[in-house]
Amino acid sequence: MSNQKKRNFQIEAFKHRVVVDPKYADKTWQILERAIHQIYNQDASGLSFEELYRNAYNMVLHKFGEKLYTGFIATMTSHLKEKSKLIEAAQGGSFLEEINKKWNEHNKALEMIRDILMYMDRTYIESTKKTHVHPMGLNLWRDNVVHFTKIHTRLLNTLLDLVQKERTGEVIDRGLMRNVIKMFMDLGESVYQEDFEKPFLDASSEFYKVESQEFIESCDCGDYLKKAEKRLTEEIERVAHYLDAKSEEKITSVVEKEMIANHMQRLVHMENSGLVNMLLNDKYDDLGRMYNLFRRVTNGLVTVRDVMTSHLREMGKQLVTDPEKSKDPVEFVQRLLDERDKYDKIISTAFGNDKTFQNALNSSFEYFINLNARSPEFISLFVDDKLRKGLKGIADVDVEVILDKVMMLFRYLQEKDVFEKYYKQHLAKRLLSGKTVSDEAERSLIVKLKTECGYQFTSKLEGMFTDMKTSEDTMRGFYGSHPELSEGPTLIVQVLTTGSWPTQPAVPCNLPAEVSVLCEKFRSYYLGTHTGRRLSWQTNMGTADIKAIFGKGQKHELNVSTFQMCVLMLFNNSDRLSYKEIEQATEIPAADLKRCLQSLACVKGKNVIKKEPMSKDIGEEDSFVVNDKFTSKFYKVKIGTVVAQKETEPEKQETRQRVEEDRKPQIEAAIVRIMKSRKILDHNNIIAEVTKQLQPRFLANPTEIKKRIESLIERDFLERDSTDRKLYRYLA
Amino acid sequence: MGISKDRIKFNVGGRIFETTATTLANAGRDSFFGALFDDEWNLSPQDSIHFVDRNSDCFAVLLDLLRTGDLNVPANIPERLLHKEASFYGLLDHVRTAKWGPFDGNRLRLSDSVKGIAPGDGTAIRAGPDGGCCVAHGSVVHVFDWMLEEHSPINLDYQRVNDVGWIDSDNIVLSACERLGRGEGGMGLFSSSSGDLRYKFQVCHENQVKSYTAGALSFSPDYEIFASCKGRSNEYGIGVWDQITGKQTDFFYESPGWSLGDADKLQWLNGKNCLLVATLFPRKDNCYISLLDFRDKNMVWSWSDIGSPMAIDEKRVRDAIAMEDSNSICVVNEFEDLGFIDLRMYGGSVRWSSRSKLMKSKMPDEPCYPKLALHEGQLFSSMNDSISVFCGPDWVLTSRLRRSYGGSICDFSIGGDRLFALHSEENLFDVWETPPCPII
Repeated sequence: MSNQKKRNFQIEAFKHRVVVDPKYADKTWQILERAIHQIYNQDASGLSFEELYRNAYNMVLHKFGEKLYTGFIATMTSHLKEKSKLIEAAQGGSFLEEINKKWNEHNKALEMIRDILMYMDRTYIESTKKTHVHPMGLNLWRDNVVHFTKIHTRLLNTLLDLVQKERTGEVIDRGLMRNVIKMFMDLGESVYQEDFEKPFLDASSEFYKVESQEFIESCDCGDYLKKAEKRLTEEIERVAHYLDAKSEEKITSVVEKEMIANHMQRLVHMENSGLVNMLLNDKYDDLGRMYNLFRRVTNGLVTVRDVMTSHLREMGKQLVTDPEKSKDPVEFVQRLLDERDKYDKIISTAFGNDKTFQNALNSSFEYFINLNARSPEFISLFVDDKLRKGLKGIADVDVEVILDKVMMLFRYLQEKDVFEKYYKQHLAKRLLSGKTVSDEAERSLIVKLKTECGYQFTSKLEGMFTDMKTSEDTMRGFYGSHPELSEGPTLIVQVLTTGSWPTQPAVPCNLPAEVSVLCEKFRSYYLGTHTGRRLSWQTNMGTADIKAIFGKGQKHELNVSTFQMCVLMLFNNSDRLSYKEIEQATEIPAADLKRCLQSLACVKGKNVIKKEPMSKDIGEEDSFVVNDKFTSKFYKVKIGTVVAQKETEPEKQETRQRVEEDRKPQIEAAIVRIMKSRKILDHNNIIAEVTKQLQPRFLANPTEIKKRIESLIERDFLERDSTDRKLYRYLA
Repeated sequence: MGISKDRIKFNVGGRIFETTATTLANAGRDSFFGALFDDEWNLSPQDSIHFVDRNSDCFAVLLDLLRTGDLNVPANIPERLLHKEASFYGLLDHVRTAKWGPFDGNRLRLSDSVKGIAPGDGTAIRAGPDGGCCVAHGSVVHVFDWMLEEHSPINLDYQRVNDVGWIDSDNIVLSACERLGRGEGGMGLFSSSSGDLRYKFQVCHENQVKSYTAGALSFSPDYEIFASCKGRSNEYGIGVWDQITGKQTDFFYESPGWSLGDADKLQWLNGKNCLLVATLFPRKDNCYISLLDFRDKNMVWSWSDIGSPMAIDEKRVRDAIAMEDSNSICVVNEFEDLGFIDLRMYGGSVRWSSRSKLMKSKMPDEPCYPKLALHEGQLFSSMNDSISVFCGPDWVLTSRLRRSYGGSICDFSIGGDRLFALHSEENLFDVWETPPCPII
C-alpha cells in the first residue's frame, strides 16, 4: 500500500437522527407562556390542565427542559416586574394591602404553574440540580418585589411605622401585619432576618433607649418597673400576634438591655424608692417585679442580692451593736427573729425562694450575729425565757415553730460551745427550780441541738435529764424504805452527777437540825444502795417551802432558798438576832448571807423579817426581828433571791474563762487527730485544718492553736522539723 | 343512599375509566392527579370527562395500583413502558414501593438477573440506598438504578478499581490503583447519574500531597470516609476524609509488623466508635484483624494468626465481619466454616463451628472464596454458587439462595431492601427481593 492510497476513514454521523422540529418546541412553549399569562391575569378557567401538563412533559421528554425552565423564569420575572410597579403606585395605607393582595395572587399562580411544570420539577430539575419551581417562584418574588429599590425601604418603613404606632397606643391592622410578615418568613429565614427582623430590633432598641431615659427621669423605681414589665409583655404579645416565634428571645433581650440592664444601678439605688426602700416597707409586689425583671439580665440578680446583703449587714450591725438594744436579751433575740421572718417572707413571696438569696440572708445573719460576743448568751436566755414561762398556753406546734426559729439563729453562731455553756447553766436552773414549763419542749430542743451538732454536744444536757429522772425514783425508794418519815418535813434530794452539771463550788452551811437529820438518813440510804459514791450537798442550789404564822395569825407558805430557810428557822427559837449571830449559826459565806438577808428584809411586800436600822444594804451591825405585820394576799409567797437574771461582770468573765479552758483540750485533740493522719504538716495548714474541724462548735483562735501546738511539742506529741522550722512532725 | 359525588371519568387514549377522588388521592399531591384537585380534593369542573393522551393499558395497571396498593403487570406490558407511564403521572415511587417489601433474608425471591457485557472477573458489587447498584469491573463501574436501567458507566481510563461505595443515591466513591510512574489513582467522587468525576480525594503526608493506591472503603454516619491506603514511599495506613468538605482529616499509620494499608475489608462500628480493619489470606501470608480508635489514635483490639499452629485441614480466615450486638467477630474459612472471636478479650482464639466438612470433596473447579455480610441481625455468607442465611443467637442456617448458572458468587451486597449477588462468569448479577407483605 502506498502512501497515496492511505485514506483516513471518517465515520459519518447517523444521518437520520430523530430531531423534533424546533418550531414545535417554540409552539409548545408559546402555549405554556400564554397559560402562565392567563394564570397571572386570573383567567385560568378556560385552561386544560391535561394539555398543559402534556406539553410541559413533551418539552422535557424531547430535551427542551432548559428552554422550558428559562422560559418559565423569564415569564414569571416579567410578570413580577409589572406587579411591583402596581404595588409601587399604591398610595399610603393601601400600600401594604396591595403587597398582600399581590403576594396572595402570586402564591396561587405559583401553585398552578408548579402543577403544570410538575414533570420538569421531578425529572429535569432533579437531574440538573437546579432550583425547584416553587422555591424559584419565591426567589423571583423576593428579587423583583421585596428587594425592588422603590419598594424595599418603603415596605420596611411602613412596617416599622405601624409597630411604632402600636407602641404609642394606636390600634393597627394586626391581621394585615401578620400576613405581610408571614410573607417574609415564607421567603426564607434569612430574608425575614435581614429585611425585617434586624431593622426592627434596631428601631426597637432606639425606641426603648429614649423611652427608658424618659421614664427614669420621671418615675420612681416601682413605677418604672411596672412600665418595663408592661413593655415586655407587650413585645411578647406582639411576637405572638404577628412575628416569628424565634424573634421573641431577640426582642425581649432588646427590651431587657435597654430598659433594665442599662439602668440597673440607678434603679436599685434610686433614692426613696429603690431596693432598700422596698425592703424596709415590705413592698412585695415591687420586689417581686424587680426580681423577675432583673433575673432576665446578666448580673441583674447579683446586683439586687449585693444591695440586699449590704443593707442587711448594715441593719444587723446596728441592731446587735446598739448597747440600748442589748439590755433586754429577750427583746434582742426577738428582734433578730423578727428581721429573719421579715426577710424570709420577702424571699419566699417576692424572690421565688431563690436559693442564692437565702444564702445571702444566712451569710448576712452569720456575719452580724457574731459581731456581738454575747449573742450565744442572749439566745440561751431567750430560750430560757420561753421555756420558763413564755410558752405557757402555746400549742405544741407553735413551740416547735419558735424553737425551730431559735435553732436557725443558733446555726449562725460561731461560738456554739459558749452557747452550750450558757444553755447548761440555764437548763440547770430551770430543772432544779422545777420551772420548766414543758418537758416535751425541753427535750425537743435537745433533739434539735443533737441533730445540729452531734451526740457529743448534748450528752451532758441529756445527762441532766437522766439525773432528774433517777432522782425521782430514788426519792420514791427512800420514802418507801422509811415509812416513818411521812410525818414531819419532807426532803427532796436531786442527785446530780458531777460533770454533767455546771459546777459551782459547794458552799457549806449549817442546816437546821430537823433537816440535817433527814439529810443524814438519805445519805445512808443512798450510799447503801449505791456503793463507791460520794455525796456532797449543794445547799446554794436548793429551795424550801416553809409554813409560817405571823403576828395576827396570818398563815403563809413561804417559798425560799435553802439559805433563807436556814436563816428563818433560827427565828423559831429567838425573836431578835444580830447579823453576827446569824452568821455564826448558819456559817453561810458573807456575800451569800447578805444577799439572802437582803431578799428577806428589804424587798417591799416580801419582807418577812424587819431589819434595824431600816436601810437598803445589810451591815455587819444590823439586827433582825420577825415582821409581825407581814401581810400578803396570797397564801403562798415566793421570796426571791436578789440575783440578776443576767450575769454579773465577774461571772461573765468566769464563764468566758471556763469556755476558753474547755476549748484547750478540744483544740489539742483536733491537732493530734490531724497530725496522726498527716504525719507532717506546715503551720498554716494545721491552723486551717483545725479551724475547719472545729467550725461546727466554735471559731478557734489562731494564737490559741499556736499555743496548743507549743504545749503539744513540750509534751512530745509533736516536734519541729530539724531543717524546716515551719514543719511539724507527729511523734507516734 | 344517593350517588357518590366524588366520581370522576377519564378518557385515556380512547378508553373510558371511571374512578373516585378518594382513589386518586392515594397518588398524593406531588402527582398528575394531585394537581387536578384543589386543596380539599374537589375537582373543579365537575361532570366533564378528562382526556389524557396516554397508554390506556398502563393507566389501568396504575389505577389498580392506586386502588389496591398492589402492582400486577400483565405479561404483555413491558416494564420499561410501565415505568415511563408511571413517571408521567408522578407515580414512580408508588411502583417502586409496590414492587418489593422490607428486606428479610429468609423470604427472598429472585426477581431479576442482569447480564453484563464483559466476560466476568467482576471486582465488587455494591447496593445503592434506593434500590440501584453498581458493579466494578476492571477499570469500569457500571451503575444501575432501581429499575435496573443502566446509566453512563464510570470509566477510569485503565486504572483498576479496588472498591466502590455509595455516599448517597447520587454519589459514588471509587478507590483505584495508582499507576506506576503516572502518579494517578487514589479516590474519587462520581455522579451516579452522569458518571462524571466530581471530586478527587487527596492524601497529604507532612503537608505534601502524595499519590497513593486506595483499597477497601468504609463510611461512618458522622460523614467520614475511611480507606486503606498505600503510598509509594511506604506511607501505609488508613486515611480519613470528611464527606462534606472532602478534606483529609486523619491518617492512621501502619505500625511495623502489622498490616493496615493492604486491608481487604474496613467496617465502621458505630457503637464502639471504632473501625475494623482486616487484612486476610491470600493478600498476605497471615491474617491481621484490628480495631482502631481514631479519637486517641489507638489500636484498641487486635488478632492475628501469626504463630498459631496450622492444623492438617488448614483453616485460613478468608473474610471477617464484626457483630457489635454479640461482641464478637465472625470469620469464615475457605470451606465456609464459621468461626467466632470474642471482642472483649485481647488475644482470644477462633472458636470454629465446623458445619460442613462434606464441602471439601465437592469444591468446584474455579472456587470463589466466601464473603460475609450482616444485615439487621441476619448473617449472610456466600460460598461458590449459593448464599447461606444464618439467624438467631446460635447462627442457625435458615435459608440458602442458589442459582444454577453464572458460576460462583464472587461478591454480594445488601441495600435498599435488595440483595445483589455478582457471579464470576459473564459479569452476571442476580437481584433478590422480599415480596411485598401479604394482602391480609
